Amino acid sequence: WLPALQLVRHGSKAVTRHWKAMHFQRQKLMAVTEYLAPRPAIPPRCLVPRKEKVEEDNGYARLLRRQVEEVFRDNRMIAVCQYNSMPGEDMVLMRHYLRKHNIEVKFVLNEIIRPMLSQSKYKNLLPLFVARNILLVSPETKVKEMLRVLKGVPQINLLGACIDNTILSRQGVENFAKLPSLEAAQGQTVGALALLPSQTSSLLQGGSAHLTALLDEHIRQLQAGEMGSPDESAPAQSLGAH
Amino acid sequence: RPRSESPFCPPGPGGVIVPRAGLKKYVLPPDYSGITFPERTKLKFMDKVPAVPKVRREPRRLRDIRGPSREATDFTQGQYGILALGGGYLHWGHFEMIRLTIGRSMDPKTMFAIWRVPAPSKPVTRKSLGHRMGGGKGPIDHYVTAVKSGRLVVEVGGHCEFEEVKPFLTQVARKLPFPAIPISRDGLEQMRQEEEEKRLNNQNPWTFERIVTANMLGMRKYLSPYDLQLKGRYWGKFFLKHRL
Repeated sequence: WLPALQLVRHGSKAVTRHWKAMHFQRQKLMAVTEYLAPRPAIPPRCLVPRKEKVEEDNGYARLLRRQVEEVFRDNRMIAVCQYNSMPGEDMVLMRHYLRKHNIEVKFVLNEIIRPMLSQSKYKNLLPLFVARNILLVSPETKVKEMLRVLKGVPQINLLGACIDNTILSRQGVENFAKLPSLEAAQGQTVGALALLPSQTSSLLQGGSAHLTALLDEHIRQLQAGEMGSPDESAPAQSLGAH
Repeated sequence: RPRSESPFCPPGPGGVIVPRAGLKKYVLPPDYSGITFPERTKLKFMDKVPAVPKVRREPRRLRDIRGPSREATDFTQGQYGILALGGGYLHWGHFEMIRLTIGRSMDPKTMFAIWRVPAPSKPVTRKSLGHRMGGGKGPIDHYVTAVKSGRLVVEVGGHCEFEEVKPFLTQVARKLPFPAIPISRDGLEQMRQEEEEKRLNNQNPWTFERIVTANMLGMRKYLSPYDLQLKGRYWGKFFLKHRL
């Protein structure tokens, strides 16, 4: 099929290096057949934005969560401290001293521990886990030694502790440290309890003991007063009184 | 690894935001399992003149520039390449430029590059300077390869990402005689999908194809018979991307 009218009389060929000028009719045709984008009835920005999808947690987060749960389950004393960056050697030394008292230093991530705490019974520990912090955990409660070590390290500040499922503030921890040890406390309790029966026995024997003491004193006075005349009736009387 | 403020610690008094360290989410490295390297990872040297130089001078045949390409439109071995968005001729200078630039910028141990255009074989004649018209056809000056729009020029692949390859591919693409872009397999697929979507959701009831095939208003008087296949997307050697 060939066009009826040969429009190319002189001038360029179909394919040129420059942009060949289009016939006006062709220009009109190109303008008419342009692409028109669809316009939705409601513009997309008026629609409510979709909520962000919550990312599924990876195995690493789950592992960390499990570890934290174990920590909370196994240890009696958990102390939360603020952690400022400190030199590596000091850190190692501190860990060493704490290890001697069987206290472990654990680093936890706030974004893992916060949802866990909010669901468990340790809700009141939530405000402590805000900035950089560490956990000092131990199955025994050696608060005095821990405080002594922490006093030597200025970069770690105690914020609070959970000892035997009791949440204590910093003051509470210091008071807890001042308490005597368990054996001493037990001995004190026993002593306090045994105080009453001992008092009872002394009370019961008090009257007769007092009388005996008075009579002994009297005898001594009489013996001292009547040295020349040996009076056998008075000692016999005193012996008979017993 | 302090991050920006989190929803857990709202700004304190004075607007101070305490930075906190978060959990690092490890991304798996990309999987380069199905990639086979060719024997020579660098681009082959292309001759200026074919092994058997042509004696007979050939007519110009500009139709090898016009319209969409029918060969080398899809990826074979590599993952990234340079897509031609217009027609043109590549001569030896272009080939050398491509070869040297890509050879300089890529790592032959981890990446490979292959040609998707043949060596120059079409002879181009030039008359000597300063002579008047007439006196026959000039002698063969140099050889070129014709490239149509939609054809891949080179392909690059290997253990690399698109972002690593893109800078030098754009550098090469800018220097070619026709408009070209660096593209990956996904990018090409996406381009085709977008084109398809545009074609489907075009609100304009009048399309070039429809008017030309039905010869509405006698438009074919002003159009070429090739416009039936080119459908208004091509004009000369140019590819009109924004159309349709």
